[in-house]
Amino acid sequence: MNGLAVEARGLVKRFGDRRVVDGVDLAVPRGAIYGVLGPNGAGKTTTLRMLLGIIEPDGGARRLFDAAHPSDASDRVGYLPEERGLYPAMKAREAIAFMGALRGLPWREGRARAVAMLEGAGLGHAADTKIRKLSKGMAQLVQLLGSVVHRPDLLVLDEPFSGLDPVNQEKLEALIVAERDRGATILFSTHVMAHAERLCDRLAIIAGGRRRFEGTVDDARGTLPARVRYVPRGDGDMAPLLPPDAVRDGPGDGDAWRFALPSDGVEPVLARVMAAGAGIAGLSIERPGLHEAFVRIVGDAETAGADGPPPPGPSATDDAGSMPSDAASSVARAPAAGAPAA
Amino acid sequence: MSARLSRTLRQVLTIARRDFTATVFTPVFLLFLFAPVIMGGFGAIGGAGASSVAGSGRDRARVVAIVPDALARSYAEADARLRAVFRDDAARPALTTLHPTADPAAQARAAFSARDYDAAAVLYGPAEAPVILRAPQDAPSARYLALLSREALADRRLGAQAPRVIAREVDFVRAGNTAGDRDQSAFFAVFGVFFLTLFLAGQVVGTMAEERNNKVVEVLAAAVPLEAVFLGKLLGLFGVAVMFVAFWGTVLAQLSQLVPPSVSAGLASLTPAVGGDAFAILFFAYFTTAYLLLGSVFLGVGAQASTMREIQMLSLPITVIQVGMFALSTAAARAPGSPLARFAELFPLSSPFAMAGRAANRPEIWPHLAALAWQLGWVALFIGVGARLFRRGVLQSGSPGGRWFRWRTKAAAGT
Repeated sequence: MNGLAVEARGLVKRFGDRRVVDGVDLAVPRGAIYGVLGPNGAGKTTTLRMLLGIIEPDGGARRLFDAAHPSDASDRVGYLPEERGLYPAMKAREAIAFMGALRGLPWREGRARAVAMLEGAGLGHAADTKIRKLSKGMAQLVQLLGSVVHRPDLLVLDEPFSGLDPVNQEKLEALIVAERDRGATILFSTHVMAHAERLCDRLAIIAGGRRRFEGTVDDARGTLPARVRYVPRGDGDMAPLLPPDAVRDGPGDGDAWRFALPSDGVEPVLARVMAAGAGIAGLSIERPGLHEAFVRIVGDAETAGADGPPPPGPSATDDAGSMPSDAASSVARAPAAGAPAA
Repeated sequence: MSARLSRTLRQVLTIARRDFTATVFTPVFLLFLFAPVIMGGFGAIGGAGASSVAGSGRDRARVVAIVPDALARSYAEADARLRAVFRDDAARPALTTLHPTADPAAQARAAFSARDYDAAAVLYGPAEAPVILRAPQDAPSARYLALLSREALADRRLGAQAPRVIAREVDFVRAGNTAGDRDQSAFFAVFGVFFLTLFLAGQVVGTMAEERNNKVVEVLAAAVPLEAVFLGKLLGLFGVAVMFVAFWGTVLAQLSQLVPPSVSAGLASLTPAVGGDAFAILFFAYFTTAYLLLGSVFLGVGAQASTMREIQMLSLPITVIQVGMFALSTAAARAPGSPLARFAELFPLSSPFAMAGRAANRPEIWPHLAALAWQLGWVALFIGVGARLFRRGVLQSGSPGGRWFRWRTKAAAGT
């Protein structure tokens, strides 16, 4: 028994001659909200489907809790697939109870919980409404409730925010946090960085079927250097005083210069500027967001191509017999020169 | 182990329950339940029409004897005696006698054009050597006229000296059933199982289409092993079939009280070799295995179809398979103990039909226990193969191994 809810090691999946997932490692700590990020077609859904046992991998191993096969732990798992699916002729209450019954929750208990959950979600009036008569967003919410009605230890959500309006997206975020607070582990995929940035305790970025990054949101942001925005007081030529990568912003930004935060800090630069009498009209250090980090990591992966060397990470460094279990971050590609250590 | 079995059983029953209620609690189910009434209604209307046409033709048909008046009476008396031998539906056409004209041959030919009757055969000429004209398909009527002629001539010549026999008829009930009874029982057993499965098992073919179209299959596959999904769906629809059989069984049981005693006695003579009670149990058991066997094959094949059009296209080969199994089993029932019968009993898809026939023909019980185990083993195999094909072909799980799979993947990519 270890502290991981989900472990995957070297997962491989081929469709025809294409390796859709190519040696993905994951280690999801229990009780965490864990995001699997990646561009469209990165292999996120295929990875989740392998983790859940919907499809079998062509290589590698995976484990949910301590079960030898995902199906052995299916009663402890809730799942919201990317392609939502409910029986249109079922009533909302029955649909939730049915999904609970599949995971071992007695029907009677499932119906009772369904009514309470629907009321809690503001859909109490729709408990006896057939799915086909609900709006798409309402049906999606019903399916989400169905995936948690049995109070799973692990909740897997594949692109849960797609198709939801902002109000329902906020409801969903609240539900995810509530599930985590209840003690559940949340594993979700998305390509919308804002949700991941707000929710994730840890995340993995997958691109081209490979894991390119694993760590916290801060770790991801740390893969890019902070940027310094400097506005001189005078009009003199600043280029010789600033780092070589400094560029001048276009008109309208107060003649600001931008450059990567040097590894020895901004103080030496400021000292040169002050010594030259240029002065400081404005100075700020800006940390990059997850969005920038994601674009950079995925961009690097695309530049390297799918045939590049396998990414360094827990799977490449651990002993062959053990699953990755460290919480340290790892980055698939070396960070750009000048980037600070994570 | 038992926990896993218990969980699988629970999952199977959850799926079965969903499918059962989703099928039964719909208005369409009433249409399905009363389909035999509609079918029977059309059959009755068609049958009544055909019977009316056939009856009117039979009423107008005649065998015609062109004989002198003195002989005509003997013909009529002989006809009355002989006619009592035949059942109504087997009797020859009614007799009409005509007084001969100067040219009996022309008169006989003209009789075929008569307006008030349809001549099936016409006799004319001397009593000892008559000539009989007949329509090509009416040889029995011609033979009947020849027999009438002989009887009438004998009556005329012997008169009161003709021997008279007065027989006494006594009812006798046979202690055991005859080979003919057993053959008939076997046929009814095979036909009964075939009819029910033909009517009910075919609906399994499209049952996975709902999950595929609604994308529910992803939810099911994540929660439940596909084998349990398949078995659950099969059992759910089998529950619908049992409900159908129970409903119509009850109706027919009530209607049987209205059946004439002669028909009841006829049915009572169809005693199967294993005995009535054992046969009833075996009949239901073989209906169950036949449904599960054919249903598991249809379910596996139908699960590969992605559109309603593909599912509809499958209905013809499915019917052909069922009729083929029926023909094989019927032939086996007619030749119990033959190599053909043994083959039909062993071949998984015909085994339930053939073994139902065997229950009518042979008294041993143990082969039925072995056969039921054999058939259930094949059900498990078919479900396993169907789930595996679904997992690989539809969910795209497992390594793309076979040539067929690669061809299918390329074909799908091409379209």
